[in-house]
Amino acid sequence: MEDRDSLAPRSSAQAYSGGRFRLSPSLANRLTIGFAIAFALLTGLAMIGVARFLQQRQDFEDATARSYRIEIQARERLARGQQPAAARRQVVAEQRHRQALREEIDDQTRDTALLVGAGLIAGLTGAALLFSGLISSMRRPLEDLVEASERLAGGDLQARVKVGGLSETAQLGSAFNEMAEELQRRAGERDQLERMKDEFVLTASHELRSPLTSVQGFAELLMLEREKLTPKQAETVEIILDNTRHVVRLLNDLLDLARSDAGRLTIAPSPTEVAPLVEEATRTLRAQAERRGQELREEIEAGLPLVNADRDRVRQILVNLLTNANEYCPEGAAIEVKAQQVGAEVEIAVSDNGPGIPSDQLEHIFERFTRGDAGMTQRVGGTGLGLAISKSLVELHGGTIAAESTVGAGSTFRVRLPVAAIADGVEPEAAETEVG
Amino acid sequence: MARILLADDSETILLLLRTRLEMEGHEVTTASDGQEVVDLMTSGGEAPDVLLLDAMMPRKSGIDALRELRAAGIETPALIVSAHKEGADAEGDADLAIDGFVTKPIDFDRLFARIGELT
Repeated sequence: MEDRDSLAPRSSAQAYSGGRFRLSPSLANRLTIGFAIAFALLTGLAMIGVARFLQQRQDFEDATARSYRIEIQARERLARGQQPAAARRQVVAEQRHRQALREEIDDQTRDTALLVGAGLIAGLTGAALLFSGLISSMRRPLEDLVEASERLAGGDLQARVKVGGLSETAQLGSAFNEMAEELQRRAGERDQLERMKDEFVLTASHELRSPLTSVQGFAELLMLEREKLTPKQAETVEIILDNTRHVVRLLNDLLDLARSDAGRLTIAPSPTEVAPLVEEATRTLRAQAERRGQELREEIEAGLPLVNADRDRVRQILVNLLTNANEYCPEGAAIEVKAQQVGAEVEIAVSDNGPGIPSDQLEHIFERFTRGDAGMTQRVGGTGLGLAISKSLVELHGGTIAAESTVGAGSTFRVRLPVAAIADGVEPEAAETEVG
Repeated sequence: MARILLADDSETILLLLRTRLEMEGHEVTTASDGQEVVDLMTSGGEAPDVLLLDAMMPRKSGIDALRELRAAGIETPALIVSAHKEGADAEGDADLAIDGFVTKPIDFDRLFARIGELT
């Protein structure tokens, strides 16, 4: 158990550090050893100090007692009058002797106190050194880990730490490296899958396009000679055409989605007139609107400035908005496209007087696979991708798209595109406001 | 109307395009790959007004054929038919002098309008 746990990170740590890997004692071991040494040192010194102090005290008391006994004997001889001069000298000598003893014990007590004090200081210094060593040996690897974690969080999957230091930090480091390695591996796998998916979508879309071109083209050919068809046949061809257009739209949406995911959804903007774009988009939808008895109006402000736009993409956005209006509005509804300048932008608004969008659906309207309520989507052939793609496209243009709606009264989708920067020297004032 | 040299490796697409173009009153010659286009254009026959070339064809693509023609100094207006814009990387290539891209499925109204502009 112990071996397995400690072996695994050790070997991988070696793998990641790439260099010399030395397993240091664990933090717990170091602390235990450090504490044991410090405690033994202090206890030993204290015991020696106390024992010496007690011994010296005992010696001092014994010597003092002996001295008193000798002095008492001398004083008794003095009282009895035996050799009074010698006895008096003895008393004085013993008093001096005790004075010396007292001085000696004071010195010894001071020395013992110094010894214990020195032991304490040495112990504390040792502990402090031990701890500062421990802290610094933990700090560097931990700082490295913090830095590497921040890099990893910032998306740098190559972030690794140098494994070393205490065994805990070494384990932490190698665990971090393993995690980063795993993340990188998975990211690599995911990227590869993404690429395969994009590749697949591109290929599939390409391969499907040619047969669809034929189906749609020949159906259109039949419709050109509509007068030669029976009403039943004409209706059949209409159905073929409707469904083909739907498949084409689906294909285009999927392709744009794959491009968008791969970061390859790009636009080629150039200064573009708005009016022809709007007219072209309404013309595309005119037949479908008429078939549903819907009124399709356009109102384009005169003298609109050029916008910086990719013609095909803006047409795609407008056709998408008009198709939605056409499909979600009942027969006989009114759809209006209105283009006007708003500040440094041109706004193209597509409004209808259809059923409207409830507010809980409206907030998610530009998200993928969001569509109207289930009953509606049965009838309407959308992909749920059109608005999400339109939003991406508008944003690529540096513009905005917004939706507002009142249930029962209708919806309005507003696309705003920045006015194209005016060439130098044409209209300096206007150009200046543009730059700002 | 215009004389159009049409190249596509799909017979169905050729038939469709040819029928629609002829219904518009254009005169259509067809080729099934880029090499045929180059051969037709350099054989000294009557030159077409517009080239309508599929971007991807076996043997020689429309793009490669056009590159050869431009190198040989032939400046006939050219429209490239491609499945989608990915096939149109050559768009920014000024040497090819491509006059337009036609994406599939083909919007014939736009195609006819473009041909009208070029002739």
